[in-house]
Amino acid sequence: MDKNFEEGQFQGTIKFTPPLSKQRYQFIKDLVAKYSPKKVADLGCADCKLLWMLKFCSCIEVLVGLDISASIMKEKMHMLSPLPVDYLQPTERSLSVTLYHGSVAHKDPCMLGFDLVTCIELIEHLEESELKKFPEVIFGFMAPSIVVISTPNVEFNTLLPGVTSFRHPDHKFEWNRVQFQSWALETARRYDYSVEFTGVGHSPRGVENIGFCTQIGVFLRKYPQTSGFALSEKSSETVYKTVFKAVYPSLKDEKYLQNTLVGEVVFTAQIIKQSLLNHLMSESEEHNDNTTARKAQLQPCFSNDMRKLGVEKSMEPFVKGKVVYVPLKTIFSFPKVNQLCGTFEKLCKLIAGKVKLSSDGYALMLSTEHED
Amino acid sequence: MTGRARARARGRPPAQGTALPAVGAAAAQKALPGQLPRQKQPQQPCARSPVPEETAGRGRQRQTQNVPQGQERKPEGLQISAGLQELSLSDRGGRRRDFHDLGVNTRQTIEHVQDSKTGTSGSVIKLVANYFRVMSRPQWALYQYHVGYNPEMEARRLRSALLFQHEKLIGKTHAFDGSILFLPRKLDNKVTEVFSRTRNGEDVKITITLTNELPPSSPTCLQFYNIIFRRILKMLNLQQIGRNYYNPDDSITIPNHRLVVWPGFTSSILQYEENIMLCADINYKVLRSETVLDFMYNLYYQVEEARYRDICAKELIGLIVLTKYNNKTYRIDDIDWGGNPRHTFRKADGSEISFVDYYKRHYNQDITDLNQPVLVSQPKRRANSLPGPVILIPELCFLTGLTEKMRNDFNMMKDLSIHTRLPPEQRQREIRKLRDYIQNDENVQKELQDWGLNFDSHLLSFPGRVVQGEKILQSGNVFDYNPQFADWSKETRGTPLICPKPLDNWLLIYTRRNYDIANTLVQNLFKVTPSMGIKMKKATMIEVDDRTEAYQRALQQSITPDTNIVFCVLSSSRKDKYDAIKKYLCTDCPIPSQCVLARTLSKPQTAMAVATKIALQMNCKMGGELWTVEIPLKQVMIVGIDCYHDTFAGKQSIAGFVASMNQTMTRWFSRCAVQTRGQELVDGLKACLQTALREWFKWNKCLPSRVIVYRDGVGDGQLNTLVSYEVPQFLDCLRSVGRDYNPRLTVVVVKKRLNARFFAQCGETFKNPPPGTVVDVQVTRPEWYDFFIVSQAVRNGCVSPTHYNVIYDTSKLQPDHIQRLTYKLCHMYYNWPGVIRVPAPCQYAHKLAFLVGQSIHKEPNLQLSDRLYYL
Repeated sequence: MDKNFEEGQFQGTIKFTPPLSKQRYQFIKDLVAKYSPKKVADLGCADCKLLWMLKFCSCIEVLVGLDISASIMKEKMHMLSPLPVDYLQPTERSLSVTLYHGSVAHKDPCMLGFDLVTCIELIEHLEESELKKFPEVIFGFMAPSIVVISTPNVEFNTLLPGVTSFRHPDHKFEWNRVQFQSWALETARRYDYSVEFTGVGHSPRGVENIGFCTQIGVFLRKYPQTSGFALSEKSSETVYKTVFKAVYPSLKDEKYLQNTLVGEVVFTAQIIKQSLLNHLMSESEEHNDNTTARKAQLQPCFSNDMRKLGVEKSMEPFVKGKVVYVPLKTIFSFPKVNQLCGTFEKLCKLIAGKVKLSSDGYALMLSTEHED
Repeated sequence: MTGRARARARGRPPAQGTALPAVGAAAAQKALPGQLPRQKQPQQPCARSPVPEETAGRGRQRQTQNVPQGQERKPEGLQISAGLQELSLSDRGGRRRDFHDLGVNTRQTIEHVQDSKTGTSGSVIKLVANYFRVMSRPQWALYQYHVGYNPEMEARRLRSALLFQHEKLIGKTHAFDGSILFLPRKLDNKVTEVFSRTRNGEDVKITITLTNELPPSSPTCLQFYNIIFRRILKMLNLQQIGRNYYNPDDSITIPNHRLVVWPGFTSSILQYEENIMLCADINYKVLRSETVLDFMYNLYYQVEEARYRDICAKELIGLIVLTKYNNKTYRIDDIDWGGNPRHTFRKADGSEISFVDYYKRHYNQDITDLNQPVLVSQPKRRANSLPGPVILIPELCFLTGLTEKMRNDFNMMKDLSIHTRLPPEQRQREIRKLRDYIQNDENVQKELQDWGLNFDSHLLSFPGRVVQGEKILQSGNVFDYNPQFADWSKETRGTPLICPKPLDNWLLIYTRRNYDIANTLVQNLFKVTPSMGIKMKKATMIEVDDRTEAYQRALQQSITPDTNIVFCVLSSSRKDKYDAIKKYLCTDCPIPSQCVLARTLSKPQTAMAVATKIALQMNCKMGGELWTVEIPLKQVMIVGIDCYHDTFAGKQSIAGFVASMNQTMTRWFSRCAVQTRGQELVDGLKACLQTALREWFKWNKCLPSRVIVYRDGVGDGQLNTLVSYEVPQFLDCLRSVGRDYNPRLTVVVVKKRLNARFFAQCGETFKNPPPGTVVDVQVTRPEWYDFFIVSQAVRNGCVSPTHYNVIYDTSKLQPDHIQRLTYKLCHMYYNWPGVIRVPAPCQYAHKLAFLVGQSIHKEPNLQLSDRLYYL
């Protein structure tokens, strides 16, 4: 549990640092770090702040938000778009972020197969009829591995300044610990989940017995993942409306992999070419007062690299006429290239047609013409 | 001819911190669509006041009521625009600059163009331009409301939340910045009172008061259109970088240089002559697929250690970076070599955290190199940001744009231009794509419909005029040139120059390795000069070591009072040698000089052509004259001004100033004004104009009866400064010459960086409009006396027109005459036997400012001022 929040000075007013909303999000982030879920959905995602924080968690590959208000999601949804840099340096993981407009009282097959579903300060906004349907939709239909539900603890309200009835005018109810826990235990029992209770926002010294300001239930599914067959059996009609969808560039997508790889291959070849040319120049012009002598410093350290990598004689680049030949094997031996394509065959396949190769396909050809 | 000559001076002036009275305060007097465009507006007796009267955009009524007249109204206008922009731009900080110079109404002061500002000569040509009309419902208006809270609520988000508890009343379509609310429809009552309750159960009275019904052409409304359009671009999933939007899905990678090019759009919606239109152009963003840290490492291996930090700073400072974790751009202002990612900073809540921990915790970003220096970015003044510089980690930053070094890399630019230089046909097709995107996106269409707006499905088409080509006059010969190429190098070859200068006594300095090259050059010059009429004697050949000091010593020892010119063959494009030579020969020992790279001279196939060009250039530098065109105006002095802004060395700006000295516009007087920080550029210009008039008197035995100033180097949003400060100073200067002296003054602002593109429609195909195409309808601005000329011809890609805005004019010259004169002046640049993009005086001023800014850093010796030594 996160212990780094401070208790506010207790003098009738209570102030949480960091703010309670941030503590709730941090709680989810910690949970994500612990369980490494791949598919995460946030129900009642509102201004998408939690989703935005979660998109930086590298284990998550599918991120979904659902809210009853489309306009509130739209206001900040572009925060969830990929950044320019995500295109410049695509990562290994794939990530898609989708926002749906819809109600937690309705079933939609797009919510199936999730590892973690969060409902932060959601249930207290539900009308009685919706609250009734809610457990069946979340636990019966979606049936994710983990469900997190947070809601205000009404026992704490006496410590909050200015709160006379509910903490927010839209709240339909606020539960005390017994009410929440009995609802949660009953729900867990019915849908074969286990539940643990915790919370954020410690009560001040002296009144520890009133519990956390926000009470949280963490539900874990007791039975294993439903099989694909069962999923398809469950699927009903789609009722949610897609408001936003962003697919992040990923190296798993061949288009981005190829682009990145070709870029890396050409750049590596350029370095090899430059160092070869510098070497040749410094050999032929050692007496010259030109600046090339200093550039030759690059050569030894480069050769060391090559030796370290166990480069054989036949893999050495050479110049013939106005063309530099850089063997593909040499390029493949560079870690960055190696990491990207894994096998030599894949390298050949991916760069085919994108770079100029010698007739036997053995080496990359670079012109010396451009040189100053 | 040297590498430097190719380098472009980027005439982008420093950002103006304090903006002009923007949107709200603008004098919105112009026609609604459908109204007669040239309808005369009632004039105010005092036409030009530094603070334009406001007629629209009174957003915060309560504040306005008791505001005294005069200056204090200015910030009010600013508040409105800043507040409004926050609607869409809050994610990148509100911008307060008015890039479109809205509300600077200069036409109303120029009497003879009140009825018409169009020219008449030339043949009609059918043009298509990159503009789409903005269509709105009839009687469309935007309703502006002031929203007040009682008790007062501070937080913008809270204010929004409370207001939108009443969405039923307000409707789904709205724009709200926390105090000003815009609606596409009118509420039932002028004042509406509603109650909301906060989380704490506090009841708040919200008063929604109608403050304005804005017609489509009001400046606030225009700004509003632009905000809506930005929303739309976002909805199309385009990525915002800086001011424009790009489509990463269509990115082009250029692995040779580790570059990525993103195609995108620049767009702006403005009131043009008869319609409100969207101007959209294709734009490319150059990004790099390496981090700043990668870049630093690569550079480290390329340069010597001792100079590394200097070079690194020079390369990086001024560049814009993107980060891995947010969608902001930062300008690198400094590198902190003492800093590293383990250093800590104080967060907004007061706690200390190291950069490594901060980025790990908030963005899950690992910093692997803990010894890297950090980048420093000084944010421009923003309302909500924390004071002090922003520290950036090189490993988490990516570079955008091109460095000066890259711009000078011919191969790189060539590789880039393959992708970025679209021929006219393709360009107009790409521009139309934007319209298709808008048309085919359901959400976008809905948003537009909600606001009652739409865009015309066709690009704007209208007639332009092609004025007749000029005749090139050279020593009694008259030449026509092929208008398609706008070049007369072939036609005039072998013709004597108007005024050849003899090469009696000249020095040729070279290194041992370039001995043969130097000799060949002399032989070639002997071959090409006789037909030009240049008398040439053998050069004094001086061989030097390839060191700066060796060149300097040779200059000091060998120059005599009779030396006509010094010729230096340089073996590399190293800047320091060139700078040292130019500095010595422009200040301490004023002699014209010609520096040429050995490489340029070494290719046998181009040797003669190069020798010809060099002979012509040397002749100009010594005060010779090449050709002229017919100039019917008499007693006129043409002035050209351009600026160079040195971003690195002390941030000084240099204004180049040239003035014609004779009727044929073949001789130019020049001076330059070096402006240090905090000094107004105009002070120096005044002194320049004074000396130019004195010099004119010496040459002509009288003073000019007309002065026409072509002012280049004016940034977006600086027009008001020019109108309110620079023009009055010019007038002052002319008045100070003598009591009876009252010449006519014309000031024309010249702008090359435009988004406007014109295509000549020939049947179904689109071509570049021919040189001499003049446009003074439709795409011009109603409040200006402005026009476009396409003067140059391009071989690849699209030609870009030049915009001329006559901001002051007592000449009473017909618009047609000003247009013709401007086009004629584009023929008079002696470094290029063809028509160029700007009038020659602007290009001369540019060359001068560039030379001084790049190499000399102080005003050159005035003994050179009657020659084109800066070519």
